[in-house]
Amino acid sequence: MIVVRFSLRSLLLLLLASFGLWDAGQAQQESMSRAFELERRGNYAAAAEAYRMILASRPGDAAALLGLERALLPISRTPQILPQVRAALAASPSNPAIYAVALRAWSAAEEPDSMRAVAEQWARIAPGDESPYREWGAAALSRRDRGGAREAYTLGRERLGRGDALAGEMAQLAVADSDFATALREWLPAVRRLPGYRVTAVATLAQAPQDIRPELLRDLDRENDFTARRLKAELQIRWGDPISGIRTLEPALPSDRSKAIEALRGLLDQLRSQRSRDALLAQGRVLEAIAARTPDVQGARLRLEAAQAYSAAGDRDAARRMLAGLADDSSAPGSVSSGAAMTLIGVLIDEGKLDEANRRLASVRATLSAEDFADLQRRIVLGWVRAGDLARADSALAGDSTVEALALAGKIRLYRGDIPGAIERLKAAGPFAGDRADATHRTMLLALLQPIEVDSLPQLGEAMLLLEQGDSARAASGLEKVAAELPPEKGGAELRLLAGRLLAAGGKSGDAERLFRAAAVEGAGAAAPAAELALAQLLLDRGRQNEAVAQLEHLILTYPESSLVPQARRTLDQARGAVPKT
Amino acid sequence: MKRREFLAHTGAGLVALSPSFRFLRGWGSAAPWLMIPMDDAQAEHLKAYGVTYRLLERGGRAEWLLNYRNGSFLLPSDSVTERDAALAGVTVEPMEDSQVVQIRGQIQQGNMDAVPLEKAPKVAVYAPPNAPPWDDAVTMALNYAGIKFEKVWDTEVLGSKLKLYDWLHLHHEDFTGQYSKFFLNYAGSAWLVDMVERNRAIARSLGYPTVPAEKRAVAVAIAQYVERGGFLFAMCTATETLDLALAADGVDIAAAYADGTPMDPDASARMHWNEALAFHNAQLELSPTVPVYSDIDGHQVNSPDRRQPLGSFTLFNFSAKIDPVATMLVQNHRQVIPDFYGLTTSFTRKTLKPSITVLADEPGAPWVKYIHGEHGQGTWTFFGGHDPEDPQHQIGDPATDLSLHPHSPGYRLILNNVLFPAAKKKELKT
Repeated sequence: MIVVRFSLRSLLLLLLASFGLWDAGQAQQESMSRAFELERRGNYAAAAEAYRMILASRPGDAAALLGLERALLPISRTPQILPQVRAALAASPSNPAIYAVALRAWSAAEEPDSMRAVAEQWARIAPGDESPYREWGAAALSRRDRGGAREAYTLGRERLGRGDALAGEMAQLAVADSDFATALREWLPAVRRLPGYRVTAVATLAQAPQDIRPELLRDLDRENDFTARRLKAELQIRWGDPISGIRTLEPALPSDRSKAIEALRGLLDQLRSQRSRDALLAQGRVLEAIAARTPDVQGARLRLEAAQAYSAAGDRDAARRMLAGLADDSSAPGSVSSGAAMTLIGVLIDEGKLDEANRRLASVRATLSAEDFADLQRRIVLGWVRAGDLARADSALAGDSTVEALALAGKIRLYRGDIPGAIERLKAAGPFAGDRADATHRTMLLALLQPIEVDSLPQLGEAMLLLEQGDSARAASGLEKVAAELPPEKGGAELRLLAGRLLAAGGKSGDAERLFRAAAVEGAGAAAPAAELALAQLLLDRGRQNEAVAQLEHLILTYPESSLVPQARRTLDQARGAVPKT
Repeated sequence: MKRREFLAHTGAGLVALSPSFRFLRGWGSAAPWLMIPMDDAQAEHLKAYGVTYRLLERGGRAEWLLNYRNGSFLLPSDSVTERDAALAGVTVEPMEDSQVVQIRGQIQQGNMDAVPLEKAPKVAVYAPPNAPPWDDAVTMALNYAGIKFEKVWDTEVLGSKLKLYDWLHLHHEDFTGQYSKFFLNYAGSAWLVDMVERNRAIARSLGYPTVPAEKRAVAVAIAQYVERGGFLFAMCTATETLDLALAADGVDIAAAYADGTPMDPDASARMHWNEALAFHNAQLELSPTVPVYSDIDGHQVNSPDRRQPLGSFTLFNFSAKIDPVATMLVQNHRQVIPDFYGLTTSFTRKTLKPSITVLADEPGAPWVKYIHGEHGQGTWTFFGGHDPEDPQHQIGDPATDLSLHPHSPGYRLILNNVLFPAAKKKELKT
């Protein structure tokens, strides 16, 4: 019976103890939740107090210690964590999280000797681990103590006996010191060990000043592995030499297909943000290289993308090479073949092969959306306009009632010299056709044409067509001739202003100045202040500061109601050095 | 005009600008007066100060109508001023005599006053010879408003050239000679190397053993300039370091990198605060790596664990007829202004000498923003922060373009200080 009684008592005690433990566990959980909630609400002082309570009963609770650290930081009381840190280290001497908090706490308390002691203690329990030195260095850096951080990393490297230990950290320190040669030497082993570092390595090395870049590239040439080739290629792209970048990478690509594609995709990511011709060409080459390593259907899409990049870069031969067979390939997906057809037609238009482009467009009409078809057709029309074949352009537009077609028709009327017809169509197109630049250009044309009271001016049409064709010198000369026949207030001043702008852009500042002065006459309406502003800018560009200031002052005082006065004041401020030049 | 002359003129009051000054009238507006309103009707608050300043420069006179439409200016109408205002885009309102009489009546009855402005003060800005023009809020404000100034540096200050100027501005010079305490954290940066070399060279050329010793001599010369009647306006770290340098008479407050010897660990206790202009009982920062000088600055922007967030500061109201100086310094179209950081952003209340006048503070915060005081026959004004329109200014940030901030209330406070020495007024109470 005694045994039974003892067992019952034991069981009872055990049960009570279990409940007690359960209660304690639940209470602790609730305390943590309460502390966390206070922290979440931004009541950091109360949260810190709650975490302290938990740590009083469980000094080794890393979660509570981390919570206390978080709560003290926003109220600038990080050093006050030190008593809890000491207790936590004593209670749980093998928990790395506690050592990390301890390092940060002693850093905040500006006790470098204690930081070192904690790091050493941590290193003893985790030999071979970089973390103690990494955290020590990070804590020093948080105090902007680069010397302390370097000491931590150097000691770690010595103790660990590995030349590549903490290489990423050393590299970042070197970058902060603007020592890019050392940074490169450190980044290479760091990236070899942890390829994820590559993006940071490229981003930081890309900041190297222009004059030391060739030396860095030579340093990379001395390395033979793929990591170095890849770093070099990406840096060349970042430094504005994308063609060299792809030339560096291509021969070094590994035979493993997926690794090669991954490297090419990395390069493509760098190139996507650049819009220069070389960047587009390099994009085409990278896409072509990826396509060559990709199965059929996906490969066809990539070839199309490569063709589009080549086409945008103006390399029509490469675009054609990519498109060869793609446009007529019945096995290719519909979107790919129609995309290829559109790209090919675009290439033909750019090459001036408008008839062939027109035939191709007619043959693929069924595969294209109505919008894509109309867009390409208008590009062909514009091609005819530029070729001077206005009759054909006119007839091709006949069935198109879109605002884009109206805008194009307005231009064709203008090139024919039909001023009222051009104004009517350009007005009707309004701001809706094309992009903002197109809309602004149309507004500029309307401002040019509206003061003209003559119905037909074929010479003006010819001059504007020359401008469309890119012959701005002859266009300016034609505009000046037409302007001579018109009074300043009836379009003469506007045409001289435009001619002056074309000549100024072409570097003929003497002629431009003469035209601006001729346009800036009384009674010329809005053209006069615009011509004065253009003249002042020209004078400033020619270093004739005083004349520019006088011109701007004249503009502001003579045309106080002009919408150009704010711009004139700003230019005046810049001319006088009252505001920084932007 | 020095303050002693300024105080010597009594009873000028409202008669300063009688219609007899209308000799300047020309072909412009038919009305005899031009009002430059400084409330929200003004299109170019900052350039309005320039228009007024240039009138004084031409020998004309103006009146500053304190608290009338946020500190408007009343000018005799003349063609040159009208042209100047039109070019600057400054809003002017032509006024007839009868309207001006009405305004004067209003001013008599309210907390307002009309302060005659008589002479364009000669302005000097303390800056190294190669300082970029866009790294100092006052230089930017003066350039933008079109107010002429000359640059002076240590050679001029120690060569007794300050007496040639009515108004002196200091910005972010470190008068403790520690290169803004950037020496260790920005080691190797080209701009810092240049700054160190330049300062060492000038100290050597002037016969001082160290940069801190030479900078303290400069600080003392500046304090003497104020004592003799000069107007001093300081911003950013020049405020705090000027006073620290003045109080460090025989105390080593510079880190070893600056003068070869470590800072005196008891420096805080050994400072001679009676020699400082504005502050006392401050605790100095002992660490050479922490870019903070003392607890004078309330925000401690360069110390991540002590940095305080930015709030807004509020300008105080003063009695225009009793405290015209303080009233002039706070004329503004905004009473509450967003705060902005500087190496010294604000001034802790506990370190302010009791005799100073607080012009603006952050209500409820332990710091103030804008203070003023007298020293001998002159006055000083300290304004914390670096650039009122670039609250988080960092080294290398693009320059502030004031044409984008023509109504900046923070910059107006700077320009109030520039025109303040032009005022002629009866005995001042502040």
